[in-house]
Amino acid sequence: MISELPTELAPSPWLLKARAASELDVRRALTSSAPTEAEFAALISPAADGLLEEMAQRAKHLTENHFGRTISIYAPLYLSDYCPGGCAYCGFAADRSQPRSRLSRDEMLSEFVALKAMGFEEVLLLTGERSPQADFEYLRDAVAEAAKHFAAITVEAFPMTTDEYRELAAAGCVGVTLYQETYEPIQYQALHRWGPKRDYANRLDAPSRVLEAGMRYVGLGALLGISDPMFDTLALYRHARALRRKFWQSGVTISFPRVCPQEGGFQPPFLVDERLLARIIFAFRICMPDIPLVVSTRENAKFRDGIAGVGVSKMSIASRTTVGGYRAPTSSPDGQFQINDNRDIETFFTALRDKGLEPVFKNWDSVYSLHKDDT
Amino acid sequence: MKIIVNGNTHELNRMASLDDLLKQLGANPEAVALMVNDQVIPRTERAGMVLKEGDRLEVLSFMGGG
Amino acid sequence: MKTNDKLILGGQEFESRLLVGTGKFSSIEVMLAAIKASGAQLVTVALRRFNRERPSDDLLGPLVKLGITLVPNTSGARNAAEAVRAAMLGRELSGSRFVKVEIHPNPHHLMPDPIETYEASRQLAQEGFIVLPYMPADPVLAKRLEDVGCAAVMPLGSAIGSGHGLSTAEMVKLIIADSGIPVIVDAGIRSPSEAAASMEMGCSAVLVNSAIAAAGDPVGMASAFSWAVKAGAAARLAGLMAQSGHAVATSPLTSFLTGDHA
Repeated sequence: MISELPTELAPSPWLLKARAASELDVRRALTSSAPTEAEFAALISPAADGLLEEMAQRAKHLTENHFGRTISIYAPLYLSDYCPGGCAYCGFAADRSQPRSRLSRDEMLSEFVALKAMGFEEVLLLTGERSPQADFEYLRDAVAEAAKHFAAITVEAFPMTTDEYRELAAAGCVGVTLYQETYEPIQYQALHRWGPKRDYANRLDAPSRVLEAGMRYVGLGALLGISDPMFDTLALYRHARALRRKFWQSGVTISFPRVCPQEGGFQPPFLVDERLLARIIFAFRICMPDIPLVVSTRENAKFRDGIAGVGVSKMSIASRTTVGGYRAPTSSPDGQFQINDNRDIETFFTALRDKGLEPVFKNWDSVYSLHKDDT
Repeated sequence: MKIIVNGNTHELNRMASLDDLLKQLGANPEAVALMVNDQVIPRTERAGMVLKEGDRLEVLSFMGGG
Repeated sequence: MKTNDKLILGGQEFESRLLVGTGKFSSIEVMLAAIKASGAQLVTVALRRFNRERPSDDLLGPLVKLGITLVPNTSGARNAAEAVRAAMLGRELSGSRFVKVEIHPNPHHLMPDPIETYEASRQLAQEGFIVLPYMPADPVLAKRLEDVGCAAVMPLGSAIGSGHGLSTAEMVKLIIADSGIPVIVDAGIRSPSEAAASMEMGCSAVLVNSAIAAAGDPVGMASAFSWAVKAGAAARLAGLMAQSGHAVATSPLTSFLTGDHA
């Protein structure tokens, strides 16, 4: 069932430029007043590594213009790690022997209370692929409960139908994040060994369905390193542009998860080091100055402090990627859910403020949404 | 009978066709568009058009414009 | 939105990316000569009452002879209903489905009415017209007009006849960034360099009237605009050189990436 990347998203016209641009191409792109694909391709190319400082300066300038000197703060909350999926790179694949758990309604409530006490107003609710233990109703009910506590609820789970997304929105969800993992169809098939996630086209189309359902934001991303990062980054850029053109009343955000070696034996085929990651982030900021760019605690403290406000406008902190991790912190897991920035909120906020950045918990008030019940 | 053409009163023989009228006005029927009582009258319907006393005609052609 | 060669509007292809208006010329002869010199293939015309005193003012015959596609405008209409009627009349005469929706209720500054323009465009697109709406340089309105089926959007550069150039440049850039249809700057362009700048910015075409008609030598100016539009389009394809950057700040932003950065 190999699918094809639609022409609208296919990066092939620009791949050559992304691999072989010259320093001159990069300089042109850096000072372009209206950068498009050609400039983006040059800015992610290897030659751009030599101009990283200049790119950072431009990225910082643009981030300040569009987001002020603030960083938007959110907390991820894992509701369930049951997963019937077969992703080769993930320690929670069904054939791996991680113990599984999911939050009961009471446990969820305690987590929400704990997070709210820490100051969070935006939470990202996560589950694995659709499973009997964590199905759509479970997720929807979690959203409804969370909406009573927090100003903004977002979800990162599994592809849903447009109607399901509408229900989620009605329950109080304002945004859905769904990573394509890789836009490269052959590698996609190879890595997603069984289950519904094998359906490449369905996953690719899901962000459109999110916005079709009237959701305010959709979050995109590719798991950098599982395929050629030039390919995935270009396709991601095209995906974001296509969605912005079609759903001009909604917003797109972009995250930058990097694949980690996983103890099940998965070795990433492509190396994405911090310089490449920074380059990709700067390129997005320069070419899409008004799009929120998100970095999680997958990255270490030094990187996060460096990139905050320099391209990146949104970050998580004090993350727990174990289920129930906020009430009763346990040791953090390995692999794709590894946490590399373990600082507490105050330490992180001090670091941000030292850079002249103000952390912001809330810039969206649910009172404006017509979806909320008034009870 | 009296009709109004482009805001001016015009005397017209009851038997005259629209094309006759246009020629009377010095207009090339191929180069004007026509409205009768605020209705656009396509060229194809001109032949069958019967004018009445007091009808208001607008005869329009292309002039310079941005 | 640009293709490498032809301008595509309503499924039809055009070589020239310069559109020309026919108003304000001192004579038909000068106007026709200027249009020829401009190389324009799309020319706007207005509907006016036929004037028996000046039958030679009629443009239809001469323009058809030049092989030009006529784009009747709805100038004079003060609301959507009048604009729709003007479009129907225009289509009757021109034989083409093109229409420039132009509704400016204020006779002084001639700014386009966004609400009536939207409504007229919506109706005319449904009727099968190839709709080119003249609009304020508003990115949201541009998407609304695209959604209802316009073939392009025509944001104003500045007020008609003002010659204030591309004062809406930043807005036009936003429109271009998110537009799925061609963006044609219309109104306020005064000089060929402004037309070239519009093309370099990413516009698909430019519509010029007053700058040519009111020039000292309209025919010469029309040629100049023709070259300028081609120059701007070619420059965009060729890729402008880098501007010299600002001096790098004393505290580098990427020191966190030096050293071990796996």
